[in-house]
Amino acid sequence: MPNTPLLKKKGGFISRFKYGYHIVFAVLVIILAVCPFVMSTTAMIQFLGKCMCYAMVAIGLDLVWGYTGMLSLGHGLYFCLGGYAMAMYLKLKSNGGNITDFMQIAGINELPTFWKPFLSEPLTFILILAVPAVVAGVIGFFVFRSRIKGVYFSIITQALTWAAYSIFIANSGFTGGNNGITDFDAIVGKTRGPANKGNLITLFIITLVVLVVIYAVASFLVNRKFGKLLIAIRDGENRTFFSGYCVNRYKNVIYIISAIMAAIGGALFVNFNGSITPTQMTISFSVTMVIWVAVGGRGTILGAVLGTFLINLCEYNLSSGALVDVWQYILGAIFCLAILFFKGGIIGLFKEQIPALIRRITKSDKNKKEAGTDAA
Amino acid sequence: MEQVVNTLFNGLSLSSIYLLVALGLSITFGLMGVINMAHGEFVMIGAYMTFVTQQFFNQYMPESIGSLYYFAAIISAFVVTFILGCIMEKLLISRLYGRKIDSLLATWGVSLILQQAARTIFGTQGVNVTAPSFLSGGLTIGGCTFSYNRIFIIGLVAVTIVIVWAVMNKSGFGMKMRATMQNRPMAQCMGINSRKVDLLTFGMGSGLAGIAGCAIALLGSIDSTVGQNYIVYSFITVVLGGVGNILGTVLGSGIIGFASVFVETYQSSSIARAIVLILVIVFLQFRPKGLFTIRSRSLDEE
Repeated sequence: MPNTPLLKKKGGFISRFKYGYHIVFAVLVIILAVCPFVMSTTAMIQFLGKCMCYAMVAIGLDLVWGYTGMLSLGHGLYFCLGGYAMAMYLKLKSNGGNITDFMQIAGINELPTFWKPFLSEPLTFILILAVPAVVAGVIGFFVFRSRIKGVYFSIITQALTWAAYSIFIANSGFTGGNNGITDFDAIVGKTRGPANKGNLITLFIITLVVLVVIYAVASFLVNRKFGKLLIAIRDGENRTFFSGYCVNRYKNVIYIISAIMAAIGGALFVNFNGSITPTQMTISFSVTMVIWVAVGGRGTILGAVLGTFLINLCEYNLSSGALVDVWQYILGAIFCLAILFFKGGIIGLFKEQIPALIRRITKSDKNKKEAGTDAA
Repeated sequence: MEQVVNTLFNGLSLSSIYLLVALGLSITFGLMGVINMAHGEFVMIGAYMTFVTQQFFNQYMPESIGSLYYFAAIISAFVVTFILGCIMEKLLISRLYGRKIDSLLATWGVSLILQQAARTIFGTQGVNVTAPSFLSGGLTIGGCTFSYNRIFIIGLVAVTIVIVWAVMNKSGFGMKMRATMQNRPMAQCMGINSRKVDLLTFGMGSGLAGIAGCAIALLGSIDSTVGQNYIVYSFITVVLGGVGNILGTVLGSGIIGFASVFVETYQSSSIARAIVLILVIVFLQFRPKGLFTIRSRSLDEE
């Protein structure tokens, strides 16, 4: 078989280049950078902006799940912590530091103490990173210390997110309850309507830059020894432990990093969305994030980004109009099929399944040809 | 005094509902190691089956046996969810044994589909089941009123537990089931068809969810997300009780049910929910494997 060595080379056409993933990501970034200038409607720009924020969360989740093998069903919590922090700052900025409407309804006359740091911009930015980091650090410390892993980790994170969701709903005087925090301008000023398209583009470019930075950080981490250790923990936690690595510390560090990425995504998301509600903290939203990563391809940073864009673009186009009912069926079916047959997601499809298919076809052609010559 | 009795009764009633939902889960999750996120949707299907059975009885059956619809509903809910569970096991779960996290995700996909199916068939508005006439009213003893509704649910749970216990410990199928779960290769060597046992066990777990749905239908309106409210608690219940242990699940749901009711007398229900969940998680710090653990020396036990 003269043509097989070429194809038998490890991986398919993406991994044949050493920087294949980065090239694909770079193409995506260029397309995204052009988008806001080409598109006429602001709705689409806003939507793509949200997608980029989601992609940040997906990268974080991929680090924890795809690389380290800990499925967190609670990343909505960190997304919301970042989101609420940003929303509190923006809300106070837009109403001049006064108490908000939902506080008035709840009969609170003075700004609550934990709202006060959000009056200042630098402190807000620090808190967006610090609060999720501390929460994730504390949760991670206790969870990993008692060696909760596998599905138990998923169940516990899910329960914690639900608990946090209940608390946010119940304390409507402080958090806006079910309605969340609404009615404020983005950090760059007003972004709604065609008149403010310039502001929206600025915001879009800022988000794109942040996404590139997060992608770079994640790629940097996983291509170092640190990343190899994460994979080692995923594939054989006890063996890594016995080799003398403090597994818990690695797990905790990556969990914190991932929480911070989710929080940054949440904080930027608020700017595009113009509001934050506890809906983003529900378990179903947290599992939706997992769907993005699973469909894109777990264990590759690019996969998380691609999956996010693909699923959200489908949802954007299908979930309005006549197909709204069908969309849930399609989403469920995609997810089941991705888990059952395409464990590597889209990336795996291009890296393994399609090359395998090509190999099989070329092989059968070859066999046919050989059979033909034999017959002759 | 009356206050205390009422709280205790409410605790018992809530515990029994959690127990009924968690019981099926303790079989599929505890014994088989499958994380069935669609369990809540099976509960929902059970609840909708109650509604459908009631409609059917209202239209086609004589008035005199109308209130007996509920017993027919329990049977039909069990049968329908049993069959659906078997179909799901055959198509999906059987390909995912040993891949727990993947089974969690795949069943979530199924739950999305089932929820949307419920919305398509029954609409987004909740539907209500009228409780059968013999369950209206309540029993009053010395100033405390116990609604027949809740007493009936407690009785239903007790009967279900006894039946599940008997099936698992006294029947031939139960013996095969336990054998397969404890040592699969050895059970296969003894001529047990382990594929069939898996199928029926998963069906049984799903069928129990259907019965739980019947009980929930008595308590409030039914919509496509009714199962979601119970799923988190049920998983925590099973983990708290110790995976693979029916007695543990009974105790776990008792603890969670009573704790919720007691905290609720001081706090709002959302806060109570959060407090109970956090307490359980703190407890799991000390006993990560739950109340009852099966001791083993293996390193990578899952």
